[in-house]
Amino acid sequence: MKKLISVLLLLCLVSLPLISLGDANVLNVYNWGEYIDKAVITNFEKEYGVRVNYSLFSSNEEMYTKLLSGASYDVLVPSDYMIERLLKENMLQPLDKSIVNNLDGLYEGVTNLSYDPDNTYSVPYLWQSVGIVYDTTKIDPAKMEEKGWSIFLDPEYDGHTYMYDSERDAFMVAFKALGYSMNTENSEEIQAAYEWLRQMDKAVHPAYVTDEVIDSMANGEKWMALVYSGDGAYILSENEDMGFCAPQDGTNIAVDAMVIPANASNPELANRFIEYVTRYENALMISSEVGYASPLTAVLEELSGEGGDYEGNDAYMPRAGYEKDEMFHDNETLKKQLSELWIKVKLHE
Amino acid sequence: MKSFFRMSYPYILWIAIFIVAPMVMILLYALSRTGNSTLTFQFTLENFTKFFRDATFMRVLFTSLRIAFLTTVFCLLIGYPAALFIANLSERAQTMMVLLLTLPMWINMLLKTYAWRGILLNFDLESEMKVFIGMVYDFLPYMIIQIHTAIAKMDRELLTASYDLGANKWKTFRRVTLPLSVPGIISGITLVFLPAVSSFVIPKLLGGGDYVLIGNLIEIYFLQAGDWNFGSAISLIMALIIIASMWLTRKLDRSEQEA
Amino acid sequence: MKKKKTLWDRFASGYLGLILLFIYLPIGYVVFFSFNESKSLTNFTGFSLRWYENMFQDSTMLQSIYYTVVVAVIATVVSTVVGTIAAIGLSKSRKLIRTIVLEVNNLPVMNPDIVTAIGLMLLFISVKMQLSLVTLILSHITFCIPYVILSIMPKLRQLDDNVAEAAMDLGATPWQALIKVIIPQIYPAILSGALIAFSMSFDDFVISFFTAGVGINNISMYVYSMKRYNPSVNALSTLIVVVVTLILILVNLIPYIRDKKIKKEEP
Repeated sequence: MKKLISVLLLLCLVSLPLISLGDANVLNVYNWGEYIDKAVITNFEKEYGVRVNYSLFSSNEEMYTKLLSGASYDVLVPSDYMIERLLKENMLQPLDKSIVNNLDGLYEGVTNLSYDPDNTYSVPYLWQSVGIVYDTTKIDPAKMEEKGWSIFLDPEYDGHTYMYDSERDAFMVAFKALGYSMNTENSEEIQAAYEWLRQMDKAVHPAYVTDEVIDSMANGEKWMALVYSGDGAYILSENEDMGFCAPQDGTNIAVDAMVIPANASNPELANRFIEYVTRYENALMISSEVGYASPLTAVLEELSGEGGDYEGNDAYMPRAGYEKDEMFHDNETLKKQLSELWIKVKLHE
Repeated sequence: MKSFFRMSYPYILWIAIFIVAPMVMILLYALSRTGNSTLTFQFTLENFTKFFRDATFMRVLFTSLRIAFLTTVFCLLIGYPAALFIANLSERAQTMMVLLLTLPMWINMLLKTYAWRGILLNFDLESEMKVFIGMVYDFLPYMIIQIHTAIAKMDRELLTASYDLGANKWKTFRRVTLPLSVPGIISGITLVFLPAVSSFVIPKLLGGGDYVLIGNLIEIYFLQAGDWNFGSAISLIMALIIIASMWLTRKLDRSEQEA
Repeated sequence: MKKKKTLWDRFASGYLGLILLFIYLPIGYVVFFSFNESKSLTNFTGFSLRWYENMFQDSTMLQSIYYTVVVAVIATVVSTVVGTIAAIGLSKSRKLIRTIVLEVNNLPVMNPDIVTAIGLMLLFISVKMQLSLVTLILSHITFCIPYVILSIMPKLRQLDDNVAEAAMDLGATPWQALIKVIIPQIYPAILSGALIAFSMSFDDFVISFFTAGVGINNISMYVYSMKRYNPSVNALSTLIVVVVTLILILVNLIPYIRDKKIKKEEP
C-alpha cells in the first residue's frame, strides 16, 4: 500500500511540469458542457497546429463569477443577457472582422440583436426558444395551441406536469401568459405573475426539475413539460408521441454567442477559432450533434429540410421574427427579486 | 510528551490562512450593504434582520435541519450494527470491508443519484422516502467507517475480562463496547450531520423538486441572484446554529461518559 | 481459531451482505447503463460499446481523469501527514486551544461548498495569486485536512498516554515514541481518514470549479457542466470501478502469494 502510494505520488510530481507549461499556441475556450462536436476542436487543432484548452461551465452566472477571479480565457460562449452585462462592464473586445469575415451566411433572426446591435463583439453559436413538450396521445394538439401557456393552470393535468426550475423561465411563462413583457419592472405586473405561478402550483402541482426532464419526457413519464427547444428536438427524436408547442402568447428567444474577453491572451487565434466554428461544415456538425438551432441559414435548411437530421421535428427550428417573442435583458435587481419570489412559489406559500 | 503540542502549530497557521481568513471575508460581506464588496465597506446588519424578518428563511432552515437530523439518525441506526459486525471479522476482512465501503464514494455523487432516480422509478414510494434513501446512501459509509475505527483494535482483553467477570454479551456490549465507541459515534455524527444540513442536490433530484433547502438558498443567492452579502449572512447564521447544536451534543457526550 | 458459525454470525454476515448490496446497487446500475445503446438512463435499448468509444475520443474527459487523480493523490498525502501531526499535537494542547481549533476545523465540513469556494477564491484574488493547479491543490488540502483530523481525534482520545510516557522513560526520544508507539496505535484511524480525504477530493465539484485555473477540469466539473447527459460518464465510472477493483484484488493477493512463497521455501 505504501509503495503504491509513493509510486502514484512520484508519477504525479513528474508529470506536473508537463501540464502547467503554457505557450503561445494554446487557445483557452470556455463553453457549456456537452455543447460541441469534439471533432470540431480536433480538426481546428490540426488545421492551425495549436492546442485547445477546453473548459466547461453550467450556467452564465458560474462563468461570470469565475471571470471575476481574473481568469483569462480566449473565447467564451455566454448567453445574450450575459453578453450585455460583460459589455456594460467593458470585459469584451471587438472582433477582428478581417479574420471573422464569414458572417454573411448568418440567419437574419439572430443577427444585430439588442445585446450587440451590429455584431461588433459577438457571433451567434447556437440559439433556441422555450416551449412546451407534450404527449400528443394525452393532450390534443389543437387544445395545446389554443390554450398556450395557460394550459399550466388546467387542473386536468394535475400531477402530469414538469416545470423547469428556474425563476427566469418560470416567470417568463407567467409574464407572457398575462400579456406582459418578460423584462417588466412594473411591480404590479410582477405581483400578478407571482400570483399566476402560485395558481399554477396549486392547479397542476408540477414537479420542479432541471435537466432530468429530458430523459423523463423521452420516456413519457409525464404529459407535458417546459423545455428549451434544443432539448425538445432531442425528446421528439427519441419519442414519436411527443409534440412541441411555442405558444402564440410569445416566448423567450435565447442566443448563445462567441465573444473574446478583453483580457484574452491570444486574441488572434480566438478570432480564427470563431471564424472556423462559423464555417458551414463545422456549424453543421455542432448543431447536428447538440440539437440546438444553428445560426447559419444554410445549416438550418439542411438539418430541418428533406433528409436532414431534424426533418419534421417541430422543436428544432425556433420561431424568429414573431413580435410577441422577446430576449432577456441583463437586470440583476429584477433577477434577484424573481429568485426570491420563485423560492416562495416552490415552498407553496 | 508535553512538547508534542507544538506539533499543532503548522496546522494552526494553515487554518489561519486558509479557513479563518476566507471566513473573515465572508463575514465582512455579511456585514456590508447588499451589492457592496469588501472594498467599499458599508457596515449594516440588514442582511441578518432580513433573514429573521422573513419566516420563509427560517422554515427552509428548519426543513434542512430536520432532514439532516433524520438522515443522521438513520445512518447511526443502520451503521452501528454494521460497524460492530465488521469489527468481529478477521483483520484482513476488516480492511477489505472498509475499502469496499469506500470505493463507491469515488463514483460521482450526481451519477449515483441519477442511478437512484432510475432505480426508484420502479417503486411507488413517497418522495420523502426517496430523499432519505438517497441521503442515507450517500452518508452511510462515513458513519460506518468512523464507528468501526473506534471499535476496531479495541483492547480484546477488555472483552475477555468482562466475560470472565460473568457479564453476558449484552451487558459487555453496554458496559464496555458502547462507551468505548462513543468518540467514534460523535465523529460519525459530525461527518454526517454537518454536511447533510447544507446538501441539496440529492433532495432536489429525488424529491421531485419539492425541497427548497438552506444549501440551495445559499447557492441561489451566491450565483443566481448575485447577492454575496445576503448569501454570506445565511451561511453564517446556519453555521452558528449548527455549532450550537454540536456543542449540545458534546455536552451530552460528556455527561454520558461521566455516567 | 476457527469457530463454528452460530446463528448470530449468520445474521451478521447477512446484514453486511445487505449493506453491500445497498451500497453497490446504484454502482451496478451505472455500469449496466454504460453499455446502453441509447442515451437514456432509464430505458435499456440494447448492448453497445459506443459510450466507451466516445470516452476515449474525448480528450477533455480523459484530461479530467488525469487532473482528478493527480489532485486527489497529492491532497490526500499532504492532508494525511499534516492532519495526523496536527491531531497528535492538538491532543496534547491546552483544552481551550483544542476546542477553538477543532471548532474552526469543522467549518469546511459544515459550510456549503459554495461558501468555502468563494471564500478561497477571494483569498487567492486578494493575495494576487492567479488561479492554477496549485490553488486547486491548496484548496483541496484545506477541505481534506478536517476529515483526517475528525477521523483521528477519537482514536487519540482512547489512547493510553502512559505507554508513550513509559517508552520515553525507558530512553526513547519523543520522535521515537511518536513513530514507534503512537502512530502504530492510531494507524487504522489514519488510514480511514486518508480514505475519506481521497473520496472527498475525488468527488468535489463546487470548490474545484472556483479555485482551478484556466483549462483545468476534473471529473466532477465535467459531470456537473453537462448541458445534456452524456452516457460516456457512465463508461468513465465503470472504468474507475474496474481499476479500483483490480487494485483491491492485487493488494489482497500480494500478501497471500508472499505467504505461500515463504511456506514453500520453508523446508
